[in-house]
Amino acid sequence: MLQQALNGISFGALLFVLAAGLSLVFGMMDVVNLAHGAFYMLGAYLALSIVRWSGSFWIALLVVPLVLAALGLLIEPLLLRRLRGRHLDQVLVTIGLSLVIVDFIRLRDDWGWGGEVRSLAVPAGLDHSIAVAGSDYPLYRLFVIGFGVALALTLGLIHRRTRIGALIRAGVGDAEMLGALGVDTDRLFARTFAAGAALAGLAGVIAAPVFGLQPGMDVDALIFSLIVVVVGGLGSLGGAVAGSAVVGPADTFGTVLFPQFALALIFAIMALVLLFRPTGLLGRVRIGR
Amino acid sequence: MSRAVAGSAAAAAAWIAIATFPQWSREWDSSRYATSVIRDILIFAIFAGSLDLLVGRAGLPSLGHAAFFGGGAYAAAIVGQRLATNELLVGLAAAAIVAGLLALVIGALAVRALGIFFLMLTLALAQMVYAIAFQATELTGGSNGFAGVRRPSLLGIDLASADALYLLVAVIFGLVTLLLWRVTRSPYGRALAGIRENERRMRALGYDTRTLKLSAFVLAGVLAGIAGALSAYAFGFVSPNDVALGTSVTGLVIVLIGGAGTLFGPLLGAAAVLFIERVLSSAIGFSQTVLGVVFILFVVFARQGLAGLLRDAYARVRP
Repeated sequence: MLQQALNGISFGALLFVLAAGLSLVFGMMDVVNLAHGAFYMLGAYLALSIVRWSGSFWIALLVVPLVLAALGLLIEPLLLRRLRGRHLDQVLVTIGLSLVIVDFIRLRDDWGWGGEVRSLAVPAGLDHSIAVAGSDYPLYRLFVIGFGVALALTLGLIHRRTRIGALIRAGVGDAEMLGALGVDTDRLFARTFAAGAALAGLAGVIAAPVFGLQPGMDVDALIFSLIVVVVGGLGSLGGAVAGSAVVGPADTFGTVLFPQFALALIFAIMALVLLFRPTGLLGRVRIGR
Repeated sequence: MSRAVAGSAAAAAAWIAIATFPQWSREWDSSRYATSVIRDILIFAIFAGSLDLLVGRAGLPSLGHAAFFGGGAYAAAIVGQRLATNELLVGLAAAAIVAGLLALVIGALAVRALGIFFLMLTLALAQMVYAIAFQATELTGGSNGFAGVRRPSLLGIDLASADALYLLVAVIFGLVTLLLWRVTRSPYGRALAGIRENERRMRALGYDTRTLKLSAFVLAGVLAGIAGALSAYAFGFVSPNDVALGTSVTGLVIVLIGGAGTLFGPLLGAAAVLFIERVLSSAIGFSQTVLGVVFILFVVFARQGLAGLLRDAYARVRP
């Protein structure tokens, strides 16, 4: 029971890392980035190559977000900026982007990527189990919980206490007004998109030792992060925390208790939230009427 | 001859040319292959046409339309097997009912959502249908898919031959296109266009916009289900991929490359996309990349799609 609870919390922590980026980009730019799952997948495969080449998981954890951020800095001005104000078209462009990224991963057999299932070893030092309340529990999953909590606290601090955080809060509130006040919103948007991509990549690295790497992982990640932000509320850090705290444990317990209907439980939660709390648990944006 | 009559005559002539393709292309080496590709183009044009009723006409960007395509395909296949019949009317009715019910349930939730959230919700809810189809192994065959769908017969007339099935698909494509044309020009279709342009104003005018949107969603679902049933007959097989996000994306890509809110956009878009996915993919390995790039280029530079580009070109050369 405790084991399952820990599994649920650790899945929730991972979902938070994943959903935080999606929610940040949406809050600032009003764009639901449907390439978020593809960024996550790319992060996982990059980690695979970096670990193979350097032998260190920690280097991958550091480098992958930087690579994804650079990609984000490149893509935002190239594709999204010219569509500013056309939100639906921006979303559509991210669909095309995810087709290209996923095909790129499929074709890179020579990098050891390709269409087969791959796995990434749990980093040395975290690859054993420790005793938790009388039974063995894999240490890496506890690390995922700690990482998620630490990231949430760090992002919360940045959000509330720094100049960047103030800019983000102002941009989420009213980006146009922020531009009128002399802030370079083009640069702010590009950096926001880059940060979102970096978070997706980070989630990909963290998840790879647990869930492995395979075709279709992009879709799973995208669906779960969409559900988290719908349940928790879009465009706020607290929403991403609340959503992942509900969806992670619900999925884990659902899978254990009634495996056939685990997903149905998740979707039932989403439907209930939509019907009775259209902004999501902690959101500011109304999703529906 | 008025312009409207000339347009109808040209459309009828084009349909006859398409419907008789297996006959007049018989001498060509690749006639049989081309016939099967065009058959699939027509099936996807029906699918995309139904999606365009939402995306192009009512302004509802759905990314979950595969639920109804795949739902219809499974319904036709499973009902045919359980009732031990290959009667077309039974299969199509099963597909229409199941797809329509799915659309009613998903639509009831999704039409509450505003703007971009509609897209997120249809995506997530359709993924639930995929999960059900994937897990209900004894019913759907699970990850192996549902094999052994028999070719249909219509009231005793056997439609098993490639040419007969092609003609069936062409006829249904023609009927669906005609229906969509009538719907968009009816007061109902004008109301949907009103919702696309300004939903709040339509509400202020007394229209029950939520019911209007839901009815369009169900109609689109039923037509997508029929396209799915035709796909099941054509391939003799239903794959879980027919319900998956990839098929929804293909539908949306077809609508936008073809031109949202146009009568012939779905056909042009389906031709372009299936050319890339079927013909080009046998020549180059990175056809999905090509599709993604082409799609991005159309969204950024040619939002009016192929149909719009042709219309602009025609307007320029018209005397």
